[in-house]
Amino acid sequence: MLYNIELMINGLLVGALYALIALGFVLIYKASDIINFAQGEFVMFAGFILAASLQTYGLPLYVAILLAVVGMTVLALLVNRLVLQYMIGRGVVSVIMATIGLAAFLQGTAGLFFGIDTKDVPLPISEEPIFLYDILLSPLELYAALAAFVCIGLVSWFFIKSRIGIALRAIADDQQVSLAMGIDVKLYFAISWCVAGLIAVVGGIVWGHLLGVDTQLALVGLKVFPVVILGGLDSIIGAIVGGLIIGVVESLAAGFLDPIVGGGTKDFTPYVLMIIVLMFRPYGLFGKADIERV
Amino acid sequence: MTLLLVAGVFGTNASANEYTIGLMCDRSGVTGTIGNLICPGFHDYIRLFNKQNRLPGHTLKVMEIDHGYNVPRGVEAYERFKAAGVMTIALYGTPHTVALTPKLSEDHILGTSPGFGSAAGANGERFPYLFPAAASYWSQVASAVQFIQNNWKGSTQPKIAYIYYDNPAGREPLTIIGDLQKQLGFELQTYAVPAPGIEMRPQVLDITRKFKADWVVAHFFGQTGVALKEFSRMGHPREQMIGLVWAGGESDMKVAGWDKADGYYTVQMAHVGKDHPVNQEIVAMYKAEGKAPPEEMELSVYYNRGVSWAALHSEAIRATVESKGPNITPADVKNAMERINGYSERNFMPPFKMSPQDHEGGGYVRIFQVHDGGFRAASDWMQGYRDVVMKHVVSGE
Amino acid sequence: MLNRETATFKRTYAEDMALYPAPLPRYTILVLLFLFFVVVPLVSSEYTLGVANLLGIASFGALGLNLLVGYTGQISIGHAAFMSVGAYTSAMLVSIMGLHWGLGMIAGGAAAAFLGMLVGIPSLRIKGLYLAISTLAAQLIIEWGINHLPFIPGGAGGSIYMDKPSIFGFQLKTNLSFYYFIYVVLVIGIVFALNLFRTHLGRSMIAVRDRDIAAEIIGINIFKVKLTAFGIASFYAGITGVLYTYYFGVANYEAFTLVVSIQFLAMIIIGGLGSVLGSVFGAVFISLLPIVLDIFLRRVGGEFMEESQIAAITTQIQLMLYGGLIMLFLVVEPDGLRKLWRNITDYFKVWPFPYL
Repeated sequence: MLYNIELMINGLLVGALYALIALGFVLIYKASDIINFAQGEFVMFAGFILAASLQTYGLPLYVAILLAVVGMTVLALLVNRLVLQYMIGRGVVSVIMATIGLAAFLQGTAGLFFGIDTKDVPLPISEEPIFLYDILLSPLELYAALAAFVCIGLVSWFFIKSRIGIALRAIADDQQVSLAMGIDVKLYFAISWCVAGLIAVVGGIVWGHLLGVDTQLALVGLKVFPVVILGGLDSIIGAIVGGLIIGVVESLAAGFLDPIVGGGTKDFTPYVLMIIVLMFRPYGLFGKADIERV
Repeated sequence: MTLLLVAGVFGTNASANEYTIGLMCDRSGVTGTIGNLICPGFHDYIRLFNKQNRLPGHTLKVMEIDHGYNVPRGVEAYERFKAAGVMTIALYGTPHTVALTPKLSEDHILGTSPGFGSAAGANGERFPYLFPAAASYWSQVASAVQFIQNNWKGSTQPKIAYIYYDNPAGREPLTIIGDLQKQLGFELQTYAVPAPGIEMRPQVLDITRKFKADWVVAHFFGQTGVALKEFSRMGHPREQMIGLVWAGGESDMKVAGWDKADGYYTVQMAHVGKDHPVNQEIVAMYKAEGKAPPEEMELSVYYNRGVSWAALHSEAIRATVESKGPNITPADVKNAMERINGYSERNFMPPFKMSPQDHEGGGYVRIFQVHDGGFRAASDWMQGYRDVVMKHVVSGE
Repeated sequence: MLNRETATFKRTYAEDMALYPAPLPRYTILVLLFLFFVVVPLVSSEYTLGVANLLGIASFGALGLNLLVGYTGQISIGHAAFMSVGAYTSAMLVSIMGLHWGLGMIAGGAAAAFLGMLVGIPSLRIKGLYLAISTLAAQLIIEWGINHLPFIPGGAGGSIYMDKPSIFGFQLKTNLSFYYFIYVVLVIGIVFALNLFRTHLGRSMIAVRDRDIAAEIIGINIFKVKLTAFGIASFYAGITGVLYTYYFGVANYEAFTLVVSIQFLAMIIIGGLGSVLGSVFGAVFISLLPIVLDIFLRRVGGEFMEESQIAAITTQIQLMLYGGLIMLFLVVEPDGLRKLWRNITDYFKVWPFPYL
């Protein structure tokens, strides 16, 4: 029983971290209808900046975070200006391929400038487990989940209350009308990319610390798709709920399904779940139900 | 474009007293982090070999081609090696080794694949031109179990958990460890970590809190740091964990934190550390050229594997020239490779005992333990349950 | 195709419906066939033939993907998975059940087509991004299946060895014999694709791509067309997998990972969506890029760098170029290399009388 509870809690904590990455994805999709296949590479790149400044140059943590924030903002702006701005309104194939090309480009750049060996992001957090009624909890993941929820809270507030957020929602609703109402659509696209870059910094800290930073870190990006399809592509609340569900499903699959099947099913079950959702509720749990039918 | 191709291929043709070794590498694909350490080691040893004039009147040349873990590009690299007239080929990557094995036999060129390909490739009668030339996963897991048996003080057999990355290479040891379980009677549970293997808490929870394993055998390819962190959080003693050859690099320990990895045993196929005379000579060579010693040597687990890999190739070519004179063919080198007996480059690598049947060279490994931010030897070169392994090598599955 | 369209007169329906109505392209085709089937094999080295074989197989695969993505507008990120279905089906049938290689080839294509149509079913309800992600799921699930399904043999190594095929007692062993084998298959594939878009089905596919709702209104059964497109594309993918398997002598799933699927998408983007010629251009370009870059840097960099240093930077530069070129083509020339080629041929169509 204890073991089952631990599996669940572990799933929830990891799910919160998935939600964090999915958040950056949803943000960009909401604003500009662009599907970012390079979300994992964004996290990887932020992780590389952090690891390099902490390890290679021995800078203190807050300076490293500052550098990562600046670096990712510049990168996001450049990417938006040089490539993705041209993709708005183009076919899905073009948009997807542009971000896939971006992913390859970032992988190569990171390898060339930061070196390809695995680096780590040391954080001043104790690794000693805490026991709560005999249930084992790891402080790192608690902090990470906390960070994830803070981010999600901030972004939600930003979207609902702030002037920029309202403009972004207007653009998401109808680009033409927003333009007519005097909203500078291009500016707001740039803003949404910047916010996604900042979220990638948080992802880079947490995931970089958990897994170590090398080009393989970008694989966390693959986790995004089941999460966002389940939650709904354009829903922030969906990203959270989807992340948590996928986290728990994975954890339980590894705990119960693996011994029966005799192989790892953890990374495969979310995709099966996703296909079922696609069949019956393609817009996900919280997404806007305006899927175009033919 | 065609012009460039032609120029490139024919431009690399060796001069009369130069023998070329084709080295495949993956520096940009999924195993790039390892390839970027192994391949420099390979280059450095060959340079040292030439500097020390070990083969008087001749030099060796390495022609490296990166394939980014892409199979067609690996096949293209092979064709380019063949056109350049290489004496031997160092194969990198399991799918490439598998895809090129039939071609090696057709073209009579020797290929080595230490740590790649399937363990059954050690059967020299089935695959005459393929030399795994380092302990296969079968031999590694047998040695790991042997090591556990040697160090287990309990009155009953230990409970062993085998946790592996869920790919063919990860599953390969299952047959051997299953056989050993029947033979020795220990309790065994196996845990698969599926790709991309970035998170394995549920499996570790099961091992430590439900199954309560005494020993853990880990078979990972770059996920080791995460695994060690998890096991340390769950309080499993690292002194009762042993990792196979790709689960024990310095960068893994760095990710886990050296203090958290302290006590962890790793199975190694070459010397670890930079204190060995061969390492010292390479450093001296760099110093004589007015350069700093190679950075890659700091991560000596994989770097040294590249060095030992190159040493085996150069020894085979050297032995061929010694017995046949300067005009040699790749097939001659293959015969010389099969006659290597006890060569270990001053104990830098296992004493290879090749034969036309056994292309693995005996399947020796050495166990090193993580200690005080470094590695220390915890055993001599050892074989484990060779009879069980050979039974499977002969039957081919 | 190199083409001068002046002074062509058609007297019969057969002439009007010919694939190449004008005489010059017809001769060009003959010359090309002569070049590829007589001259190239005669003058090429073993190495060049080896590269040519890989290019041929890649072109075939890219062509299949272009039928789906470029012509029908349905994106697929699972192309490589269907190749592995073809590869394993043929390897199992030929090496374990002892069937003829020709049957194995067709069965490999058919099995891939069947699975492809299965994956295509959701395309009735979803499109665009959703379809992309569900094909991504198919890629991962098929990979998982080949790894774990108990009836797929290959041992722990996940690979099935097989003897190379023989035609009338002549075993295909050398690169030269495979060259003929692969290029005959490729020519069949190209001719089929060229003709497909002169039929009702092909035109329907283009209609679905351009405006699916309008297509439905004029009476095209969209579901059937989409499924057929998935089937045909996956059949091509299956045959590509079979070609790889026969050429290497082994089926191994690691040759058909997600990265490979993406590479094929890159080929058709750079070559040109919705173009047979573009598929071939793209496949050749993407396959040759790392080789040419490697040889170039080795020549140029060899003057002032160590071999190992060159190797260390080559790969990163190659990745950057690969990603950068995809983005560059999408921004600057979305129609790909095919368009660049078109610009050149268009210029010569009326040359030297541009005022005509």
